[in-house]
Amino acid sequence: MSRPDWIVLALTLLGIIAYGLYKGRTTRDLDGYFLSNRAVPWYMVLLGIMGTQASAVTFLSAPGQAYTDGMRFVQYYFGLPLAMVVLCISFVPVFHRLKVYTAYEYLEQRFDLKTRTLTSFLFLLQRGLSTGISISAPSIILSSLLGWDIVWTNIFMGGLLIIYTVSGGAKAVAYTQQLQMVIIFSGMTIAAYLVVHRLPAGVGLTEILHMGGKAGKLNIITTGFSRKGGGFDWNDRYNLLSGIIGGFFLALSYFGTDQSQVGRYLTARSVSESRLGLLLNGLVKVPMQFLILLLGVMVFAFYQYNHEPVFFNKSQIDLLAHSKYKDSLSFVTTRYDAAENQRLSTLRGPGTTDGPADLVDPSLLESRKEALEKEKAGYKATIRRWLDDPAVGGDSNDTNYIFLRFVTDYLPKGLVGLLIAVIFLAAWGSIAATLNSLASCTIIDFHRRFSSKQLTTNREYRLSQMYTFFWGIFCVAVAQLAYNLGNSLIEAVNVLGSLFYGVILGIFLVAFYRPKVTGWPVFISAVIVEIGVIVLNILSRKGIVSLSFLWFNLVGAAGVMLLSEVLQAVMKKKPVDEKPG
Amino acid sequence: MDEEKVPLFKSWKTWYRLVIGFLVICIAIFYLLTKHFS
Repeated sequence: MSRPDWIVLALTLLGIIAYGLYKGRTTRDLDGYFLSNRAVPWYMVLLGIMGTQASAVTFLSAPGQAYTDGMRFVQYYFGLPLAMVVLCISFVPVFHRLKVYTAYEYLEQRFDLKTRTLTSFLFLLQRGLSTGISISAPSIILSSLLGWDIVWTNIFMGGLLIIYTVSGGAKAVAYTQQLQMVIIFSGMTIAAYLVVHRLPAGVGLTEILHMGGKAGKLNIITTGFSRKGGGFDWNDRYNLLSGIIGGFFLALSYFGTDQSQVGRYLTARSVSESRLGLLLNGLVKVPMQFLILLLGVMVFAFYQYNHEPVFFNKSQIDLLAHSKYKDSLSFVTTRYDAAENQRLSTLRGPGTTDGPADLVDPSLLESRKEALEKEKAGYKATIRRWLDDPAVGGDSNDTNYIFLRFVTDYLPKGLVGLLIAVIFLAAWGSIAATLNSLASCTIIDFHRRFSSKQLTTNREYRLSQMYTFFWGIFCVAVAQLAYNLGNSLIEAVNVLGSLFYGVILGIFLVAFYRPKVTGWPVFISAVIVEIGVIVLNILSRKGIVSLSFLWFNLVGAAGVMLLSEVLQAVMKKKPVDEKPG
Repeated sequence: MDEEKVPLFKSWKTWYRLVIGFLVICIAIFYLLTKHFS
C-alpha cells in the first residue's frame, strides 16, 4: 500500500475509535451499557442490525462468489423478510413487555432456570468461537494479499474495537455502526463506479449483464431441480426453496434468538421503533445483497477486457514457487499468460494492429476465444490441484481474494486504503455488537443470576466492562488459534452455528406458540434433538445423508417442537398460564 | 404498548404485506433477469 492509503486507513480507523469513545462517554449503568437506555431511534436500529449481520467476509466473499459461482447466493436471503414479519408479530412485543436484557431471560419466565441457562450457554459457546473465526477469516485474506503479519492483523481486526466497546458499551456500538455503514456503502459505491468507469467506451451496465448472463453468472433464481429430471438436490445450498424455507428458519433463529441481534433491537425506544428497524431490514437486505453480488459480475466483466491473474491469491503462487512444482509452475504461468494475451488480442478484433488479422470471420473469432477460455480454465485447475496436494498444504479456494486483488491492482491511491478500511469497519461493527452481547449474557444470565451477593450499579457496570474485555481477548486468541490450526477449525465453527441455531429456535417457538408445554419436556427435547442434529451432521459429512447445512435449522426447530409436544403428553405435566405475546 | 402509533400506515398488517409483497416483486424481477440474460 502507498502512503496515502496508509493515511486514509489510519485516519478512518482512529476516527471511528474516537467517535465511539466520545458517544459512549456518558454510559454508567447496565441499562446504558447493554441497552443504550432504550433510547435508540429506528434508523439506528436498522443500521445496527445490518452492521451486526454484515461481517468483513460479506464484502470480500460475495463479489468473489458472484465472479465464480454466479449470483444465486442472493437466494440465501429470501427467507429473511418473512422472518422479520414473524419477529415483529411474536418476538419483539414479548421482549419489550418483559423488559429483558437478554433473550434467554424470557425462557426462565416461560419455562425454568435450566432451559435459560442451557440456551444462554449454547449461545456463548457458539458465538464466542464463531466471532474468533470472523476475526480470523478477513485477517488471513489481508495478511495473504498484502503481506501483513497475521498476529498484528488479528490484533487490528479484533483488538482495536475493544477500546470503544469496553468503554461505551451498546451506545458506542450503535453510533459507530451508523458511521461504519455510511463509510462501507460509500466505499462499495465508489468501487462499483470505478469498475464501470474502467471498462472500454460503449460497455455499460446492459453489456455487463449480457456478458455475465452468457457466462452463467446471472443465475439469480435456481430451482434446485436437476435438468436431467434427477429430482430436488437436498445438498444444493442456494436455490429458491432452500433460500425461502431454510433461509427463513436461519434468519428467524439468528434475529430472534441470537443475543448479538436481539441486543440491537432491544435498544430501541419503543416496540414501534424496533419493528420499523426490523421491517426496513427486511425491505433493503435482498436488494443490497443483489447489488454486492452485481459488483462481482462487474469485476468479472472488467477482467474480460483486462489481464486476469491465473490465481488471485498471490501468496499461494509464492507457496508453489517454493515447492516441488516450481518448474512446472513457471511453465504453466507462461502458457497461461500467452493464452490470456491471445484472448485479449481477439477482443481488439480482426484487422487491428495487434489483433489477429487472420481471423476475419466473427464466428471463427468467437470459437477461438472459447478455446482460449478452456485452455485458461485447464491451467487454473492445475494450479488448484497442486495447492490441494498435502505436500504443499495450500489453499485452493480463491473466491475471497478476487475483489480485494482488483482493489489493490486497479484502484487509485487513497481509495485502496478506504476499501481496506471498509473491510476493517465491516468486521468491527459485527464483532463489537457480539462482544457487547457476550458480556450481557455472561453478567445477566450467569454472574448476576447465580451470585449470592447484591451488586451495586457501579460494580455491575465495571464487571460488564471486564467481561467485554475478556471476550475481546478470547476472540482474538481464537482467531490466532484458527490461523495456526488451518482450515479445519474454520470449517468446524462455520457448521457449529447451524448445529445449534435450529434447536435454540425450537425452544423459543415452543415458548411463544405452545403455551401448554412446560420446562422439562422442552429441555429433554432440546438435548435429544441437539444430539440428533450432530449425528445428522456427521452422517452428512460422511456422505451417508445428503443434506445441506441450511436444512439443519429446520430439522432442529421442528424436532424440538414436535418432540416436546409428545413428551408433554406423555409426562402429563400441569399446564402453565403464560400466553404467547 | 402495542397501541403505539404505526408509522406511515394504519396498521402493522399493511407493513407486513408491503415487506412480503416487495420480496415477491424482487423474486419476480430476478426470475425475469435470469431468463432474459441466460
